Amino acid sequence: MKNRALILISVLMVLSLVLAACPAPAQPAPEAAAPAAEAAPTEAPAVEADPEPTEAPAAEPTAVPTEEPMAESECAADAPSLTIWADETRSPVLRSVGDAFTAEFGVCVSVAEKGFGDIRDDFKVAGPTGEGPDIIIGAHDWLGELVSNGLLAEMDLGDRDAEFLDAAKQGFFYDGALYGMPYATENVALIYNPEIVTEVPTTWTGVTELAAQLEADGVVEQGYILQQGDPYHFFPIQTAFGGYVFGVNDSGYNAEDVGIDSEGSIAAATWLDEMVKAGHLKSDIDWGTMHAQFQNGDAAMLITGPWALPQLRESGIPFAVAKLPGEMQDAQPFLGVQGFMVSAFSDDPLLAQTFLLDFVATEETMQAIFDADPRPSAYIAVREKIDDADLLGFADAGANGLPMPAIPAMSAVWSAWGDAVTLIFQQTEAPDAAFTQAAEQIRTAIADQ
Amino acid sequence: MGAVVNSRAGGAGAPPVSQTGPTLLSWVFRLGALAIIDGVAIWLLYQMFRDGIWQLGLAIGIVTVLLNLIFLREELYPLRWISPGLALLVVLVIYPVLFSIYTAFTNYGDGHLLTQPQVVRLLENRRFLAEGATLFNYTAYLSPDGAEYALYLEAPDGSEAYIARQGSLEEATPGAQPAEIDGFTPLARADILRGGHTQKLVAVTFGDEETAFQVSDRQLGKAAEYQQRYTYLADEDAMRDNQTGTLYRPVQGTFTAEDGTTLTPGYQVVVGTRNFERLLTNPAFRQPFILVFLWTVGFAVLSVLTTFTAGLLLAIAFDAPSMPLQKLLRSLLLIPYAIPAFISVPVWVGLMNPEFGVVTEFLEGVLGVSIPWFGHPTWAKAGIVLVNLWLGFPYMFLICTGALQALPTDIYEAADIDGASPVQKFWNITLPLLLITVGPLLVASFAFNFNNFVIIDLYNGGAPPMSGTPSPVGHTDILVSYTFRVAFSSGRGADLGYAAAITVAIFLILIVITWFQFRFTNMLEERSENV
Repeated sequence: MKNRALILISVLMVLSLVLAACPAPAQPAPEAAAPAAEAAPTEAPAVEADPEPTEAPAAEPTAVPTEEPMAESECAADAPSLTIWADETRSPVLRSVGDAFTAEFGVCVSVAEKGFGDIRDDFKVAGPTGEGPDIIIGAHDWLGELVSNGLLAEMDLGDRDAEFLDAAKQGFFYDGALYGMPYATENVALIYNPEIVTEVPTTWTGVTELAAQLEADGVVEQGYILQQGDPYHFFPIQTAFGGYVFGVNDSGYNAEDVGIDSEGSIAAATWLDEMVKAGHLKSDIDWGTMHAQFQNGDAAMLITGPWALPQLRESGIPFAVAKLPGEMQDAQPFLGVQGFMVSAFSDDPLLAQTFLLDFVATEETMQAIFDADPRPSAYIAVREKIDDADLLGFADAGANGLPMPAIPAMSAVWSAWGDAVTLIFQQTEAPDAAFTQAAEQIRTAIADQ
Repeated sequence: MGAVVNSRAGGAGAPPVSQTGPTLLSWVFRLGALAIIDGVAIWLLYQMFRDGIWQLGLAIGIVTVLLNLIFLREELYPLRWISPGLALLVVLVIYPVLFSIYTAFTNYGDGHLLTQPQVVRLLENRRFLAEGATLFNYTAYLSPDGAEYALYLEAPDGSEAYIARQGSLEEATPGAQPAEIDGFTPLARADILRGGHTQKLVAVTFGDEETAFQVSDRQLGKAAEYQQRYTYLADEDAMRDNQTGTLYRPVQGTFTAEDGTTLTPGYQVVVGTRNFERLLTNPAFRQPFILVFLWTVGFAVLSVLTTFTAGLLLAIAFDAPSMPLQKLLRSLLLIPYAIPAFISVPVWVGLMNPEFGVVTEFLEGVLGVSIPWFGHPTWAKAGIVLVNLWLGFPYMFLICTGALQALPTDIYEAADIDGASPVQKFWNITLPLLLITVGPLLVASFAFNFNNFVIIDLYNGGAPPMSGTPSPVGHTDILVSYTFRVAFSSGRGADLGYAAAITVAIFLILIVITWFQFRFTNMLEERSENV
C-alpha cells in the first residue's frame, strides 16, 4: 500500500512537473524553431543577388498563423522587436507609426497601453528584470527617480537636435546628459474672464489693485483666486518677485542651493500674506473650488494649466489665456515636459533610438500626437502651426518657463514648501518665518540621507 | 465507511484498500489537487527565481512543501482543514511582516533599486570618448556568410578615413567609399534595421588593438573610438574609472571615491541598523513625535469611544421588540459600512467644503457659525472623528446587536424583581456583560484606527501644517501618515528601507499598547466571573 502510494506520488509529481512546464512552451518553441528561422537570414546574404530577400521573412509567417491579428503577422518570429509603453491617448498614434515601421523594416513594434502614472512605477519593477519595454512615454520630472536607479539609457538627437524646443530638451537633461526626446510641454498661465477684466494686469501689485477694485464694486467675490497650499501654482508668483527653488550650476539644478528663503521668495510670500490679510484671498480653497468659483463667475482670474481647458470650455464661462504677471522680473512658470525615454535594459538601444528619430520625430507623427491631446508641442515645426488661441496663450506664457526640477532632492521640497504657503493662508505664521522654516526643513531632509 | 465499500464494488481493477487507510477515490482526488497546487507553485517559483524575487519564492516553496506534507502524512490529518488558511496566512501576512523587517535593515529604495551585479553590468557598459576624438560617419559591410562586419569610416570633415574590420585597420582615401570590402557588401541604412543588425553591430569592436572603433548605440551611422568608462576589479571589489583612474569602493551600496564622489546608480545592500540609528537621531522624530503620538492615541481612543457609543445606543434602541420596521432599519443602518471609505470620505469632504458644502452652508444659515473643518487644528481633528464615526458606527452596531441578543434574560428578570431602573440595568448588567464579548473587538478597532492611514490621507492629508517643526508635519497627522511623509519626502525620493524601519517601530509600539489592552479586557472578564 505504502509503496503504491509512493509510486503514485512520484508519477503525479512527474505529471505536475510536466504540467508546470506547459505554460512554458512559448519559450522552448521559438528556440526549437530558431535554427530553422535563423537559417533564412544567414542564407539570404549568400544569395545577395536576389533583389528581394526581405519578402521571405514577411511572407512566411503570414501563411502559418492565419488567426493571429494582422499587426503581428507582419513580423517574423525572430525579427528584431521593440516594446513601447504609452498612455491611452498616445498609444493609438504610436501603434500606427509602429505598424509603418514594421511594414518597412520587419521590426515588430508592440505598444502596451498603461495609465500615464503607472508607466513609471511598472517600469521600475519590470525594467531591471529585462522584461520591460524598450521605450516609455513619460514626464521629465521622473528623470531623477529613473536615472538615479540606473533605468534609462542616454540619448543623442544628433543633427535633429535643432528641431526640438530648447526649453523642452533642457527638461530632459540630467547631470549633463540627455535622457529623453520631448514631444510636448505644459505650463500654467493666467486665465481671466474678459467680461470682467478689461485690462490684464502685468504685475502682481496690479493684480492686488484690480482685485480690490472688483471686490469693492461687488462684481465678483474674489478678483484673483488661488488654491491653498499648492506651491506649483504659487511658483510663478515667486519667480516674478525674483525667488527660486533650487539654484542652477553647470550640471543643472543644485540641491545645495535652496532658494525658498531667498529674498525674492520671501517678497512673494509677503505679497501673498497681504492678499490674505486684505481678504482678497480666502483660505481652504482647493483645486476644484478654485475652478468652480471661476466657472461660476465668482472669481475673475486664476492660474491654471492646459489640462483645465476642457472643463473651462464646457462651463461656457468666457475666458482668455494671458501671460503671467511679473513684478521685479517676468514670471517663470514650471515647465513640464513629456517625452520618450529609452530603457537602459533594452536589448537594442540603437534600434529604439533610430525608431524614435526616424519615425516619431517627424512632423506627421508629432502632429498626430498633438491632435490626440492638444498640448503645446515640443517639436518646433508643429508648435509653430498651433492656431488655437488658448494653446498659443499657454505656449506664450511658458516660453521662458523653467523645467520643474527633476533631482531627487525635489521630493523633500513639495511638502515643506506647500505647508509654508498654507501657513500664510491660515495666518498662523508670518511670511518670512514660514518660508525660512520651510527652507530649513528642506535642508534638513536633504542633509539627512 | 460507505466509501470504502463503494470503491471495492466499483472497480475490479481497484487496488485492495485497507480498512483504516484512505480510499482510492480520496487518494486520486488528493493527489490530483496536490498536482495542481505543485504545478502552479513550481511555475510561480520558476518566475520568481528568474526575476530575482527569491525571498517570496522561498516563502512559496516552503508553504508548498508543508502543504504536500500535510496532505500526504496521515498523522497530520487534522491540519488539513486549516491548511488553506495557514498557507494564505504565511504568504499574505507573515511573509510581508518578515520582509518589512528585512527591508528595514537594507538601503532599498530610490537610488538603490538594483542588485550589485546589475549595477556592475550597467556601469561597465558605459563608454566615453576621449577629448578631441572624432565622431566618424560609417557604412557597415556584411560578410557573405553574414557572420562578420566591416566598417568604412570617414571623418565628417573628410580629413581621414579608415576601413575597419574585426581585428584589423587600414587607412583609406577619404571620399572614396569602396563598393565592397573583400567580398563584404555594404548595408544600406534600411538593411541595417531590417536585418536586426543594430544589436549585433553595437556589440562588435572594429580595428586593431591600438585603434578600436565601436559604433554608437545612440545614433545610427556614427562610430568612434569609444572606450570602456568603468572596469570592475573583482579581487579588490572596486570600480575603476578608466578616464580619470579614480577608484570607487563600495560604501553602503554606493561606489564611492576617496573624495566622496559617488557613482549612480547604487545597489541594494544590507546596511545593518543604520535606518534605526537614523530614526533615533533624526530631529524630525524628537519634537513633533510626542504631539503626533498623542494625537494618534487620542484619535484611536476617540474613534473607538464614539463609534462604540453610537453603535451600542442604536443597537439597544433597535433591540426593543416594539421598534417598527426593525429589520429594514437595521439593514439600512449597515449601509455606511458597506460603502468603501474611498467613496464616503471624499463625499464628506465635499459636504464640509468651506465654500459650497451643505454642512457648512447649513451651519452658517441656521446657526450663523462658520466652522473651518479643514484649516483649524482642533476643528480638523473634530471633523476627522465625526467622519470616522459615520464610517465606524455600523460595525459596532452590528456586533452589539449580536451580543445583546446573547445576553441571558434571567439576570434582567432578577433585576426587575429587585426593582432596578433601566439606567441601573444598563450600567450594572448590560455594559459589563457586553464588554466581555466585544472587548477584544474594541481592542482590534483601536489597533485598526491607530493605523488608519486612509481616512487621514483622504480627509485633508494631515493638514493643517504645524509651524516651527524641523520637518513637515500636520496637526492631524497620525504616526502612519507621518511615516509616509518622512519616508517619501526625504531628499532622495522613496526611501523604502527607512520607511520599513519606521513601520517596524510603529509595529512594536502597537504591540505594547495592544498587550496592555488585552490585559485590561482580561481583567474585565475576571471581574465578570465574580458577578
